[in-house]
This record gives sequence, structure tokens and C-alpha cells, in this order.
Amino acid sequence: MSARDVIVIGLGSPDRGDDAIGEVVADRIRAAFGGMVTVTTREDPTALVHTWEGKRAAVVVDAVMSGRNPGTVRVMEAGAKAPPLPTHAFTASGRGGSHAFGLAGAVELSRALDTLPERVAIVGVEAGTFAYGHLSVPVREHIDAAVAAVADVLAQEGIKEESCVSEPSPR
Amino acid sequence: MTHQLKDGGQVLNVGMLARVEGEGGMHIEIRDRQVVDVKLNIFEPPRFYEGFLRGRKYTEPPDITARICGICPVAYQSASTEAMETICGVTTTDAIQDMRRLLYCGEWIESHALHIFMLHAPDFLGYESVIEMAKTHGDVVKMALRLKKAGNDLMEVVGGRAIHPVNVKVGGFYRMPTVAELQGLRPDLERGLEDALAAVELVAGFDFPDMEQTYTYVSLRHPQWYPLERGTEVVASNGTRFPVAEIASHIKEFHVEHSNALHATFDGGMYFVGPLARYSNSFDQLSSRCQEAALAAGLAETCRNPFKSIIVRCVELAYAFEEALRIIDGWTDGHPPSVPVEPRAGEGVGASEAPRGTIWHRYRIDADGIIEDAQIVPPTSQNQASIEHDLRTAAQQWVDLDDHTLTHRCEEAIRNYDPCISCATHFLDLRVERS
Repeated sequence: MSARDVIVIGLGSPDRGDDAIGEVVADRIRAAFGGMVTVTTREDPTALVHTWEGKRAAVVVDAVMSGRNPGTVRVMEAGAKAPPLPTHAFTASGRGGSHAFGLAGAVELSRALDTLPERVAIVGVEAGTFAYGHLSVPVREHIDAAVAAVADVLAQEGIKEESCVSEPSPR
Repeated sequence: MTHQLKDGGQVLNVGMLARVEGEGGMHIEIRDRQVVDVKLNIFEPPRFYEGFLRGRKYTEPPDITARICGICPVAYQSASTEAMETICGVTTTDAIQDMRRLLYCGEWIESHALHIFMLHAPDFLGYESVIEMAKTHGDVVKMALRLKKAGNDLMEVVGGRAIHPVNVKVGGFYRMPTVAELQGLRPDLERGLEDALAAVELVAGFDFPDMEQTYTYVSLRHPQWYPLERGTEVVASNGTRFPVAEIASHIKEFHVEHSNALHATFDGGMYFVGPLARYSNSFDQLSSRCQEAALAAGLAETCRNPFKSIIVRCVELAYAFEEALRIIDGWTDGHPPSVPVEPRAGEGVGASEAPRGTIWHRYRIDADGIIEDAQIVPPTSQNQASIEHDLRTAAQQWVDLDDHTLTHRCEEAIRNYDPCISCATHFLDLRVERS
């Protein structure tokens, strides 16, 4: 496994409360791993389809709402080997991203196009607020847990200190 | 879902209208094969942006109003900056206007590519969603994603972010992109132009229901170019034309009980803003290549069939790529990113052509630049009456279709507008009641 085959993507708006968790965790991973893994951020879920194309594994960090306590960190598998995600709520409600297209829509669109990475690990952090402003206290207190969850996935993918990615982050 | 009524009639209930953004309700009532009532119910609570703006500084609207929508923030930024500069008596430079037009091209590309292929095309190709469509039209969907990415990249380079740009200010920009940065976009923009022209040809082959709009088409007009980031006049298909500064005296907003978004009239009558209006009012200002593509696609110089708006959007998509390339090729480094704008008391209007139609802002500020009054009039709210009119026409024209097909046809009639309902709603509950 080459680190070149793996990408970490922080998804979400940096201005909207806990939706910034994707960017915050991505920054921490970038700082901790240096150039050892490609790390990038995206606000537009449709951009995910291009961003992870050609990668064997992607780790996507995003805020989620599932009714759990704010700050709860979960890792969900959504790659080519995982069962399809329920896209209807994302694609139809308009709550998944700009113009009714969210993370699940991006996963399933990539699956339909046969460009979905073998593994897509979604590190979801339960959000408490999407109001304009900073992370909520519960989510801020769980940043370390989210970073650790991403690091665990990277370790499973064999990302070692000595491996190195020299290519610039894709747009 | 179909419900039988006690009087033998029926209620068709579609819990969610897919492929639009927003929340609202639709009620269609049919008695004895006659459509007797149509209402677009927008029930999302008012968002009070106009209220938020009062008491804020004249420099703040570009950033505050951009947050109204994730897909058309540049429309809000352009209208608000123009309004403030007009009030303060400031004229920006040609370079700043070019860069504003380039940023707006990015928004048109993002928005049109998304709606054409991911929201609208599934209607014509018989799919529930773009995901289903991708299984058999993968090349088309990949092209759509390429187009969308080209728009996103342009927005990032010029605006600082693909969504909710942060580089726009009253008076210009915080930073101008360099020639090198812009030239880096060129290969994708060139391919985007080719893709967009191919898309015109592709969608021209769709089957279009016959339906004609009769109301007044209203759009901006600029003496030099197809309306985009600004205009000098408002023009209407009935021959009316006047300076943008007078728009508030012609367009009057009013409240109707069944909608939390204000309806509007143009000189007291129903009107339409959007790609069909722009195209029909300013066909002569499209490039010769876009004109030829449109005519080859079977369009005339005006288009009154709302279902064919998908062709017009493809033409405008190609035009946006052409414009982006033109501006980039003429760009040189060293332009000041902004001009100073000192406040002065007054009232003024700014307007631009959002992907889905004319948007205008009116502000009144005091001598210290504090906003005393604000009015924001987005295209989807202006089009509510024409959406209802189209629904009434469609429901009556196809009243003998089975409930499922009629319901779907009505949904299509709404999606023709590419409604940015997030500016007003987030959910559409479609109900057709028959007896």
C-alpha cells in the first residue's frame, strides 16, 4: 500500500459551527503527518467525485446528525466493497449540500460511475449546531478523538512515517 | 401517494419534490376536469436578512447577503456592491468590472452545470435521479462533473472559495488573481466550452412537451454585452425599458397568504425573470458561436417553451465559458484590486442576473454609512406567480393523464425554473386534489 493511494478529505463549511470539523481535523492530520498523506478540504460535495477518483482509499471527515450526543465520533464504511448508502434523503431533501447533493449522493454517484475508491471511511462527528460561528464546546472537546479515528484508518492502510507523497494536493 | 376523497375525488401527495432546493408546498385542485386552484405554498419562516442588515455598515452586505444561498452568492454580492457604489457615487475601474464578470461566469458555470445535468436532465431521460442516470449515461455525468469543477475552480481562484466567495468587497476585491493563476484555468475552460457546446446539441435531442408562456419577460440589458454581473437598463418583452435605478418603481412586492416569500408584479402584471427572458431579450448580444449553436438546436431568437429552458441554459453555459476565456486572455497583472468608497447618505439600487434570473437590492444609508433600510428581491420569489401559472397551464393541458404522470409533469414544470428555493424554502410537498 502506498500513501499515494490514500487521501484525507475534510468536508464542510468552515463558517457554519460544527460543520467546520472536517477542516479542523484535516488541518490537524496535515500537521501531524506532514507530507506523508494527501490531505485536502472541500465545501461542495459534488467535488468529492473528482477528488477521490483514482485513489484506493479515502477518509472523509464530516459533521453528521444522527441523534447522538454532540461530539460523538463514528467511523462508517462506504467504499466500493461496502453496501450502498441510502441516498434518497440526501438527494431529495436539499439538506445534504448545495442543490440537494450530499456526501451520500457523491458516494453513490461515484459507485454508479465505477470510480468509487475501494474503501471510503467516513469519520462522522455528531454536530450540535450549524449556526454561523465556531465549533460548539462538545465538538471542540472531541477533536482529538476525531483525529485519532482518522489516524487509526490511516494506520490500517499502512501509512507509515517513512512513506512520502510529493504530489501537491489536488484541487 | 394517492388518497381517495369522500366525494370520490383524489388527492395526490408527493412528500418530497426531488432535484430542487428548498421547502414549500403545492396544492392543485381539480373539479370536473377543470383546474380550479393552484398554490405554491412557501411555508419556511422568513429569514429576516433585510432586518439583519439594518444598522450594519455599508461595507457588510456583500459578505452577509452571500450567505443567503450556496449556489448563487455572487449574484447577491454583485447586486449589493453595485447598490452601495451607486449610493456613494463611485465608479470602479474596467479591470474590476472584468473581474466581477469573470467571477460571475464561475457562478453561472457551477449553477447551470448542476441544474442542467444533475437536476433537470433526469426528467427528460426518464430517471429518478442523476445517480440512476449515471448508470447508463456515465459519459454525460462525467462531463457534467468536469463542467462543475471548472466553475468551482474559477470561483476559488477569483473569489477565494468555491462556495460563498470571500474576496469581494464594496469597491472591488481584496486581491486580484494573477495572470499565471488565471492562465492555469485555461485548459479546463477550453474543454468546458467544447463540452458546453456539445451539451447544447445533446439536450436539443430531448423530447419537449408543448407549452407556451405568455407573460412578460424581464431582464437586464447592457449596451456592450449579454447581461450578467450588471446592466444599465431593465428591458421587458412588451417594449418597456428603463434605467436600473427605476426598478423599484416598476416592480412591486406584495404578500399572499399562502407564501412566506413575497410575490411581485411588473407594472401591475405577471412577469418572468430567468434564462428564457435573458435569451429572448438579448439574443443579439450572444456571441455568434452561441447564436449558431442555439439556432442549430432548434431554438428561435425567442423561446417561450419553459421545458426548453434546458437548451437555453446550455447556450448560456457555453457563453459563460467564452466570456471567461475572453477576460482571462485580456488580463494583465498590476491592477489595483479596489477603489476607495466613502459613505454618503442616500438610496440606491444594484441588480445582476443570477443564474435563475434578475436579482436586485435596494439600500438606504446615512452619512456614516449605516444601513437604514434594505430590500432584497431574488428571482425565485419574483417567479412564484409564473410558476403557479405554468402549473395551472400544465395541469389543465394534461388533465387527462393519470395521476402519477400528471404529478410528475407538474414537478417538471417547477424544475424548469431551477428554483433556488433555499432562498425561501427547503421542502416541496406536492398535492393534487381531484373530484
